Amino acid sequence: MYQFYTSKMVLPLILILGLAYLGDSMAYASPSETTTHTNNWAVLVCTSRYWFNYRHMANTLSLYRTVKRLGIPDERIILMLADDIACNPRNKYPAEVFNNENHKINLYGDNVEVDYRGYEVTVENLLRVLTGRHEVAVPRSKRLLSDEGSHILLYMTGHGGDEFLKFQDSEELQSHDLADAVKQMKEKHRFKELLIMVDTCQAATLFNQLHSPGVLAIGSSKKGENSYSHHLDPDVGVSVVDRFTYYTLAFFERLNMYDNTSLISLGKA
Amino acid sequence: MAEISEPSKPPQLDSGTSEAGLSQFAFDPKTMRNTKPGFKRLILTISVFSSFLLGLPFLWKSVEIYRSPLPFRDIDALSSHIESSPLQFPCTFRVIFVGFDSMASRAEQLKSSILDEMIKLSSKSSLCGSCSNNYAVSVVIESGSDCSQTRSDASSCSWRCGALSASDFAASLENGLHSADDFLEVALGGCSKSASGGRVYSVVVMNRGENVEATIGKYRHGWIVGRVSEAEAISKVAETFVKLLGNGGREEGLIPGEFMPVGADGKIFLSFNLLNADPDDWIYDWDFQTVDEVLLKPLIKELSPIANVSVESQVLYHTPTSSFSYWDNKQESYIFSTKDLPFFVNSNEWHLDTSIAAGGRSKILHFVVYIPSARECPLLLQLPDGQISETNGFISPMWGGVIVWNPKGCLRDRESKQHHRHMISYPELEKIVEVFLGQFRQLFGLKSNPQHVGLSGTFNILTSEKGFTEWEMDFLSRQHSCFNLHSCASSLGSLSRLVQSLPRMIIIDEIGKQVKYSLEAATLAQKNASVGVFDAAAISSRQARSLAEDAFFHPSIMSVSYFSFEHCFAVYSPFFLPVALHLAHSLIMLGLCGHQHIQMSIEQCPLW
Repeated sequence: MYQFYTSKMVLPLILILGLAYLGDSMAYASPSETTTHTNNWAVLVCTSRYWFNYRHMANTLSLYRTVKRLGIPDERIILMLADDIACNPRNKYPAEVFNNENHKINLYGDNVEVDYRGYEVTVENLLRVLTGRHEVAVPRSKRLLSDEGSHILLYMTGHGGDEFLKFQDSEELQSHDLADAVKQMKEKHRFKELLIMVDTCQAATLFNQLHSPGVLAIGSSKKGENSYSHHLDPDVGVSVVDRFTYYTLAFFERLNMYDNTSLISLGKA
Repeated sequence: MAEISEPSKPPQLDSGTSEAGLSQFAFDPKTMRNTKPGFKRLILTISVFSSFLLGLPFLWKSVEIYRSPLPFRDIDALSSHIESSPLQFPCTFRVIFVGFDSMASRAEQLKSSILDEMIKLSSKSSLCGSCSNNYAVSVVIESGSDCSQTRSDASSCSWRCGALSASDFAASLENGLHSADDFLEVALGGCSKSASGGRVYSVVVMNRGENVEATIGKYRHGWIVGRVSEAEAISKVAETFVKLLGNGGREEGLIPGEFMPVGADGKIFLSFNLLNADPDDWIYDWDFQTVDEVLLKPLIKELSPIANVSVESQVLYHTPTSSFSYWDNKQESYIFSTKDLPFFVNSNEWHLDTSIAAGGRSKILHFVVYIPSARECPLLLQLPDGQISETNGFISPMWGGVIVWNPKGCLRDRESKQHHRHMISYPELEKIVEVFLGQFRQLFGLKSNPQHVGLSGTFNILTSEKGFTEWEMDFLSRQHSCFNLHSCASSLGSLSRLVQSLPRMIIIDEIGKQVKYSLEAATLAQKNASVGVFDAAAISSRQARSLAEDAFFHPSIMSVSYFSFEHCFAVYSPFFLPVALHLAHSLIMLGLCGHQHIQMSIEQCPLW
């Protein structure tokens, strides 16, 4: 018998932590060397709803498609999505979502497993996912069952401001909420390395209180800066993708499951 | 109040004004009070204020945050105790020399030299979950009718002279190692079974024949047979005790957290999956019910001290791998190598994690029997050294294992497609379960080699049909007790830090109870460990860990931990601000202007 000592799912993106300076973001990390990398997880959150926020859902679905393509299975992806775009009466292409006006990739194709849908996308649910404090009845597929060897990607997109991120126009995630959750995750050994990517206005302010080791945070904009959409699809009638996510995806599209690219090349891309 | 009852100016002065309206409201000198307000007014003011003050405790009580008292001191004590003194178990060892007439009277001397050798072998730093270095060793020398033994303390099991007959043992050896093992179990019996910490590990050294052969049985004893010198016997005995029976043949101490195969709630779900890569080529099914009842039940029973094991099974179709294989002419089969393993498990097509019974903190171990499609059959795993893997399987720690099972003659059958269902025969299933057992043991960190090459030579290791031998289970119990207690202490420590850092967090009674029971279970585990009852220690430490996790991950903690002070202010200020403002004002006025100045006009008081 052959013993094989890394995870079955290898995300080729090897998170090289350290002082990876990534363009317009802040980075903070210190790697924990003693534990072995066991598995990869992704928590993808779209915090907006309604038709005019099409691009946020497209951002999230694109990331979902990418991490799945690169080898993270559905049971290790927590997808939080308002999910009111694909079947919106205003959608000219029913049950289809695109992130580019060329309409090459249908993001709402097959096997999109939304774990938290519609009004379930709340700050409380996100924090429950992160900290692992669920009611007993919550099924495994809705939980982040990571261990101390896990690498986790947390991607969030929506409308935000100085030290907050709006959740569906009704509540907000504040920077200290996020920092607190990450601190508790670290305390309970729920990750080895955590990559937080946020595409929203003043995204970097969301990381102000983040001091846990092993965390790398990338934001699309600094304090006082806005995050703009990339382009408008005249056919759909709204913007379909944000700039930061667009260029991140452009980088990932060039990779396949067998690549061994590091995060530093994302910074250079 | 002062300003209302007392007019600002004497009414006489008003008569001078020409406003008719005012004179209409002018005070009647008959009914008007002409004494200055004194103590009465002060008392009134104070009584209103004091009733407010009296109400404060009730208000405070009604908005108070309920916090069940947690035993912070006990938690700290547990953590520091586990940190400072690693959990160690007393182990009792016994050596029985048979057929060594020359040593008849030197039992004590032998004992001390074996002890020296054992101390030399045991690691300097005391590993958590190992036998404590304060070994209890007794030596028995059986020679014919005569027998001598070291003085043993009352607790250990005393040896009955002549209990082991050399000729009977020799006869049983002729019938193979397993029969010798069973013979010794009966002969040495009693001691290795007794419950009250009297687990004695024995090694029988017999001077007989030429070739020296050392064997560890599937119970709690081993034997060394052959023409052995005294020094050789001592070093072999010491190594058997320390490295094998004491430390399970492993070098590492504590299990790393990410390689713990038992879930935080002490449960393991074994999920057996039969994957038909392409059902258009052939479909295989299995009689899993029989496998479960005949082959897995004993294993689950054996493991019950360290984990609560449940079994599930499913058959899946259309499950190709995401790795590639190539045709090898020499092997006449398709080959995939170890570097393809990361991509073998096709997580997008293999929907394995379908258990509905498994809770969030249980561990699911997947065991996959993969039946390749006709395009890649037979499929063989090539090891890095170019050899073909015998088991044709591999494990992924914390996830489970994969066995590639090639249907017989699949190379021939590929042309003549037979669409009917096949059953995997029972002997084949037995072989598959055997490989699974090996993988399962490996996930627990145990080797499955039939031989152990040690410092003082090779040791044969007998396997148990249950999957784990008794001495291995002892070792696992010790190790898991240690891991569980560490994990329990760290969870409770985290909880206590969290609770102390958030003073406005509600702690419901359930959490308090969980913490209390967890601490009780941890204490019980330590007590059991100190008297050497391994499986009881494992069970209670498992409870301690699970309760501590339940307390830390209690869903009620979530809703209030993000409850900022500003929030509190915003909620209560609309209720109290209007009243509080007036009250504070009148009080300040009272304080500043004093009651002797109350007579003064409103304008005269600086605050009005």
